[in-house]
Amino acid sequence: MASRMGLEIMYEEAKDAIEKASDLRELDQIRIEYLGKKGKITSVLKSLGKLSPEERKEIGLVANKVRQNLETDIAEKQEELSRLEIERRLALESVDITLPGRQPVFGNRHLIAKVIQDITNIFIGLGYKIAEGPEIELDYYNFKALNTPADHPARSLQDTFYIKRESIHPSDNDILLRTHTSPVQIRVMKKQGPPVYIIAPGKAFRRDVPDPTHSPMFHQVEGLAVDKGITFGDLKGTLEEFTRQMFGKDRQIRLRPHFFPFTEPSAEVDVSCAVCRGAGCRICGTGWLEILGAGMVDPNVLMEVGYNPEEVSGFAFGMGVERIAMLMYGVPDIRMFFDNDMRFVKQF
Amino acid sequence: MLVPISWLKDYVDFEMAPEELADQLNLTGTAVESIKYLGEGLENVRVGLILDIKPHPNADKLSITTVHIGRPETLEIVCGAKNIKVGDKVPVALIGAHLPNGVEIKPARIRGVTSYGMLCSQAELKVGGDTSGIYILPKDIEVGAPFAQAMGLDDTVLELEITPNRPDSLAIIGIAREVGAITKKKIHKPSINLVESPEKALDYITVEIKDPDLCPRYTARVIRNVKIGPSPSWLAQRLQKAGMRPINNVVDVTNYVLLETGQPLHAFDYDTLREGKIIVRRARKGEHITTIDGILRELDESMLVIADAERPVALAGIMGGKNTEVSSATTNILLESAYFEPKQIMRTSRNLGLLSESSARFEKGVDPNGVDRAAQLIAEVAGGTILEGIIDEYPKRIEPCKLPLRANRVNEILGTKLSLNDIVDILERLELAVDVVTGTNEMWVTVPTFRPDLEREIDLIEEIARIYGYNNIESSLPESSGKQGGLSLQQKIAESIKLRLMASGLSEVITYSLADPRDIDKLQVPEGDSLRWFVKLMNPLSEELSVLRTTLIPNLIKVLKYNVNREQYDVQIFEIGHVFWHEEGKELPDEETMLGIALTGAWKQDEWYEKARNVDFFDLKGVIEAVMDEIGVANWSLRQFNHPMLHPGRSAELLIDDTAIGYFGELHPSAEADFDIPRAYVAELNFNKLIDKARVSAEFSEIPRYPSIDIDIAILVDDLVPNSRVLEIIKSEGRPILEQVRLFDLYKGKGIPEGKKSMAYSMTFRAPDRTLKDEEALDAREKIVAKLSKELGAEIRA
Ligand SMILES: [Zn+2]
Repeated sequence: MASRMGLEIMYEEAKDAIEKASDLRELDQIRIEYLGKKGKITSVLKSLGKLSPEERKEIGLVANKVRQNLETDIAEKQEELSRLEIERRLALESVDITLPGRQPVFGNRHLIAKVIQDITNIFIGLGYKIAEGPEIELDYYNFKALNTPADHPARSLQDTFYIKRESIHPSDNDILLRTHTSPVQIRVMKKQGPPVYIIAPGKAFRRDVPDPTHSPMFHQVEGLAVDKGITFGDLKGTLEEFTRQMFGKDRQIRLRPHFFPFTEPSAEVDVSCAVCRGAGCRICGTGWLEILGAGMVDPNVLMEVGYNPEEVSGFAFGMGVERIAMLMYGVPDIRMFFDNDMRFVKQF
Repeated sequence: MLVPISWLKDYVDFEMAPEELADQLNLTGTAVESIKYLGEGLENVRVGLILDIKPHPNADKLSITTVHIGRPETLEIVCGAKNIKVGDKVPVALIGAHLPNGVEIKPARIRGVTSYGMLCSQAELKVGGDTSGIYILPKDIEVGAPFAQAMGLDDTVLELEITPNRPDSLAIIGIAREVGAITKKKIHKPSINLVESPEKALDYITVEIKDPDLCPRYTARVIRNVKIGPSPSWLAQRLQKAGMRPINNVVDVTNYVLLETGQPLHAFDYDTLREGKIIVRRARKGEHITTIDGILRELDESMLVIADAERPVALAGIMGGKNTEVSSATTNILLESAYFEPKQIMRTSRNLGLLSESSARFEKGVDPNGVDRAAQLIAEVAGGTILEGIIDEYPKRIEPCKLPLRANRVNEILGTKLSLNDIVDILERLELAVDVVTGTNEMWVTVPTFRPDLEREIDLIEEIARIYGYNNIESSLPESSGKQGGLSLQQKIAESIKLRLMASGLSEVITYSLADPRDIDKLQVPEGDSLRWFVKLMNPLSEELSVLRTTLIPNLIKVLKYNVNREQYDVQIFEIGHVFWHEEGKELPDEETMLGIALTGAWKQDEWYEKARNVDFFDLKGVIEAVMDEIGVANWSLRQFNHPMLHPGRSAELLIDDTAIGYFGELHPSAEADFDIPRAYVAELNFNKLIDKARVSAEFSEIPRYPSIDIDIAILVDDLVPNSRVLEIIKSEGRPILEQVRLFDLYKGKGIPEGKKSMAYSMTFRAPDRTLKDEEALDAREKIVAKLSKELGAEIRA
């Protein structure tokens, strides 16, 4: 039977073992040895009943004290060992953070598609819808309905791709590759009444031999607003809003009168150069970069689609996407867009 | 169109610097392409007179000239050229001159003799291309005068781009009118005072117009006893600055008046005209004319000619004939000024491939007035007497037209608040006469004949807008409430498919809609296949771009090849674009939007954590599955697809709800060889059908509340048994508690009998309304196993 002295020696031994425990498993064993169901301290406490009341009281007191102290010591040691264990694991698990990460593979949007999306998003925000049309068009939609006279140079075999057919060129029934996305205007207006607010992105074709600034195929975004009381001022305001969003808050636009068969009054629109802000520099020359053509929809066009020009008016504008992409991203050669070199495609 | 500022100032006074003038013109619709500053670097060059030439004592090829430059002291200048003689006037670069070619003039000892300047060639001064000798100046030039000034080179020239609707701007006076309108200045046109002789022109010439539709007006004057010779300096210089080569005084005057007024003129050698007759008629079949450019041209009835009693003597409005050309022997002149119908001129000019300064103006419409100005100038510069009377055949009068204009309409279209007075003022500055209808905001505007482009009210509104200044119009935004922006449902689905493809590792490409028909041969496509129903171009640039594409595949293959040739071996791309098929009897060819995909190489190169793996059929199928997932389509299936372009054992046709959507697979080795590319996988799906099949309203499905039981089985089956067959059995026998089944292992080879394969599936069983009992799942497994061995002879391995 344990004496008071025996208990104290037991405690000293246990304390010593706890001190020396090198991991949690060893510590747990010590706990079992002393405080487990059959542990040394537990046995003392269990056998108290065999003692006299005085002894029971005295030994019981000491044994309980020893148990409490051991529990505290073990808990403390446990905490210390856990901390050490985590530290050891952390040290073991350190990686070379300069190794490259595991990137998921991803693809890129084509730059032209990206620029088209940027443009159309701006106009969607201004209340426009996206309209699309065929790339092969009737002369009627591409030229005639757009007030382009039969002998207009753009209609020549030199400038426009025609589709092989029986009939003789030129006539309204000729089939051609659209030279702009403007025929979409006509198709939309023939289908629905005013108001019309559309933006028409797409491919267009001109019979140009490929070189750094020409491509037989290119992309255009055409815009059209027809409604009651649309003014030239509305055209200006709309293009200013577009320019600010597309090119930056501080960019200005400038309208120069020009001639297009399907608009009147017509304008070419320049944006101020980002580098010199309109003062003139080596990039822009004059301080201004031409970005689009625009104008008030010619009354002949409105009448052609069955609108009454005395009741509604409208404006239209068209821009070359490649040109804008080249200006914005400094792409030096239009052919790069269609080479699809992955080293180009993956840049954007 | 080249406009020397000094010439422009003859007709309108303005103080603006050339740059500012160019800006103003640009902003009012006359595009200035460039500003050329003449006389740069000529500041220290003077007109010198050669007084003496003596040989250089120490050099055979050099001489020493004594030159008078208008100062008391003469200059000694060493010169190597041989084309000079005493009495010649030449350009002399003085000490300190910085010539346009970069040469700086300093006193120089040349073989022991000091030279105090340099006699210059045209090329050295950059005033012409002649390098052969010293530039010998006209006799009438003042000695000692600054060279640039004396030669009219102290000038600036604007290069203008004139839009086809503004023929009036193809004249210096027309530009002056624009400048006048911008600066609010009246222009002064040259005054014409003719001294006529008593002899009557009518006694010399008769004019007959046989086709008044094509020639509404023909006027002529006769000038006798002219002396053909070089033009005086002022005239020659002006022509040169405006980009025309001086020829002789009479021809130069016609060109001068052309540039000044925009009216093309033609001078005939009167004595070569048979019977003094001018007949304006259509050419007869078989007739010929040699034009003054020396080319023999065949004529037909569609062409208008000027003829004499016997033969054509000019292509009306385009170019004169050699047979009646003014030469040094000419003494009597017939001067023509006419108006020809623009479309006819354009047609003839195109048909003959002959463009001239004259046709360029006639085809846009000229002002049918102007012969007297030329007669006066010819008398001035070539002597001669102008016979009395102008012959003026004018069977179809061209009258100024009157257009109605509403001030309210102007402001409605422009968004301005211009007053009636503002409007009238602008129109009058453009020489348009305005009659306001009393008490109204409406007016009648008389349009002069030099503005054939103004035909409607809207044309007048444009004039007002451009002179008022586009940039002075206040900006606004459309006020409509009828606007509702956004993407259509189809456009949203299209975008989501695109995003999914990019997220799957594919990059977007864009290739030409134009294609090479020979590419279809390389795809091994048989005759008669719809991929050969080409829409062909009538006027292709080349065979490579001579048809519209019927499939995206060849272009995508070529992108692979382009990159592989540049050592980019890993290429995974897609394109969404149109393809076209010729179909008889339709208004337009068939046009469909397709999604094309092409893969080659590996997704990723070797990495420190994993090795590169080349893509295969199942990478492509994975992309297709991702697309199906994106559009929410579960009911898709595959079937055998036999197309010569694809590997027969590694290709499939995709169906959704039994509708064929497209195909995908490995490119056939023959096609790979013909295109000379490495192993590649391609797909082409009908994009519109894909969008149509999209399930747009996905609905929430309950997250399971009760636990599931997972059981794996591994079976040994014949190698030819497809996965789909196994799945079919598992699914039908596992009903209704089988929630999901997934192939997780496939093995052939060591340990497996020849012709067999091992397939392992993981099955998940679950009941939606209670906790499933183990026995239920095991029962289901037993049923499945029994059926697999019965139907497929499957041997259960675990
Ligand atoms: Zn700049």
